Amino acid sequence: MIRIEGLTKEYAGKAVVRDVTMAIESGTVTVIVGTSGSGKSTFLRMVNRLVEPTAGTVEIDGVDTRRMKAHELRRRIGYAIQDHGLFPHWTVARNIATVPRLLGWPRARIAARVRELLELLQLDPDEIAPRYPHQLSGGQQQRVGVARALAARPDMLLMDEPFGALDPVIRAKAQDDLKAIQERLGSTILLVTHDMSEAIKLGDRIAVMSEGRVEQFAPPADILTRPASAVVESLVGEEDRPFRYLSLLPIAPLVEPGTAEGPPIGTGHSLRDALAEMIWSGRQALPVVDDEGAACGRVTRGALLSAGRPPR
Amino acid sequence: MSAVVAAALRFALVALVLAFLLVPDAFAPLLAPFAPPGGAAIYDRASLLALTVSHLLIVVAAIVPAVAISVGLAILVSRPIGAEFLPLSRAIVNIGQTFPPVAVLALAVPVVGFGAWPTLIALFLYGLLPVFENALAGLTGVPPAVAEAARGSGMTGPQRLLQVELPLALPVILEGVRISLVIALSTATIGSTVAAKGLGEVIIAGLNSNNLAFVLQGGLLTGALAVILYDGLGQVARLTARRG
Ligand SMILES: Nc1ncnc2c1ncn2[C@@H]1O[C@H](COP(=O)(O)OP(=O)(O)OP(=O)(O)O)[C@@H](O)[C@H]1O
Ligand SMILES: [Mg+2]
Repeated sequence: MIRIEGLTKEYAGKAVVRDVTMAIESGTVTVIVGTSGSGKSTFLRMVNRLVEPTAGTVEIDGVDTRRMKAHELRRRIGYAIQDHGLFPHWTVARNIATVPRLLGWPRARIAARVRELLELLQLDPDEIAPRYPHQLSGGQQQRVGVARALAARPDMLLMDEPFGALDPVIRAKAQDDLKAIQERLGSTILLVTHDMSEAIKLGDRIAVMSEGRVEQFAPPADILTRPASAVVESLVGEEDRPFRYLSLLPIAPLVEPGTAEGPPIGTGHSLRDALAEMIWSGRQALPVVDDEGAACGRVTRGALLSAGRPPR
Repeated sequence: MSAVVAAALRFALVALVLAFLLVPDAFAPLLAPFAPPGGAAIYDRASLLALTVSHLLIVVAAIVPAVAISVGLAILVSRPIGAEFLPLSRAIVNIGQTFPPVAVLALAVPVVGFGAWPTLIALFLYGLLPVFENALAGLTGVPPAVAEAARGSGMTGPQRLLQVELPLALPVILEGVRISLVIALSTATIGSTVAAKGLGEVIIAGLNSNNLAFVLQGGLLTGALAVILYDGLGQVARLTARRG
């Protein structure tokens, strides 16, 4: 549990983060979105004290972070940034080992952990571990940056536009991987992005920031259907809103008995995926299969469209 | 291919200098045309080997503390607590550089007497600036994302310095040392005017007795040493250069 109370940062008398209060549940993903300069990075960096707040407190599991030594606090919190910041004079293995080494883990444990992480992030340890950062592609560098943040098994991860430099395909893949890793490890993640789709895809809750204030802190569906202010509404994007909303809704509740033509869709997909498939294949309904591939009914265009109209 | 040529040239130059120092008389026929009638072709008032060693010792004895102090100063002023000393440090090392070495010798002799000391002082002052400026550029030139990652992963100040900043700055620092060393090698020749043992002695003897052969061997030896050291340190710098 992270409790943030009245957190404020001023530079030369001008507040860039103003009086932010929020409670973040352990094991959840909180995504901070906002336009450039709205104070997202500053807010994030106050959590691991890379920036010292002008006012306010951050409590992690009931302990005020000011009562810890800054470097000890940071070793407990994974930190990944857009330009990955890999150490150019160290191999990938040594980079990933940064925090475990600082914590004095035994060699064998570090080596095993490095292997494990590279495999987790789908990088071949034998090939990638001995390389230097400049011998990797941008996507690989970014994944190594994430591996380094995860290395010492932190309960909490701060990520500042970790996928910012990736092309859309690799980016989507990296998001899926992060979600899978997070679900497996149960980590608490605070992630900054200015991509609303990324926020909706990854966030259990989204905090929308504007001019240093948190305009709304709510689950993605609420952000879409009940934007708290004009700023939030504009970030959501009026024309994209229905599709984003559909992307949050699972197929399962709309499955009705019956059959339909053509290739089936899995219950794990979103209504947005189902709609896309209907449009592209010109079908009124899709057969639905469960995780094992067993037929469980169909979903119709009519049901889908009315489900996509948010409650008012 | 060019690497092979460079290695061959490097080896040839070192071999030539060693041969000249160990058996200078073998080169007498080559230098004789430059000696005045009846004059010696090879400097004979002291062993060229001993003069070279002494020359190098003075240079090293001046440059080692100059490097230590410049790097130390650069480390200090690149920390937040030392930042306010930056202008002062810059001023001090710049004065060391702008003061003509001859003037340093002239001022030092009355204080420390003749011999190696005045030369040491002049070379030391001359060695400060290139190393200081390069070390400062290297230490403050760490890419922002790398500096941020070092802090964010929980390294303490000294850990950041030793594990990240200094290793990344090392090639740049070595470049400064290279420059200081070459300047010191050539400047050390004027030390012979105040009785420091070195290759300058050969050149001065040549000038005094109109013996071009002496001037040539003193000058060429100094030049060859400078080339060898500059090149050698360049090789070291390349090895330490960050792979990025
Ligand atoms: N060290 C600093 N000194 C002065 N002003 C700063 C400093 N750091 C940030 N700011 C200012 O604070 C504001 C918020 O910056 P911040 O980096 O938190 O924005 P951001 O939301 O992360 O933006 P982006 O999406 O572009 O990364 C900006 O106006 C910035 O200029
Ligand atoms: Mg930012």
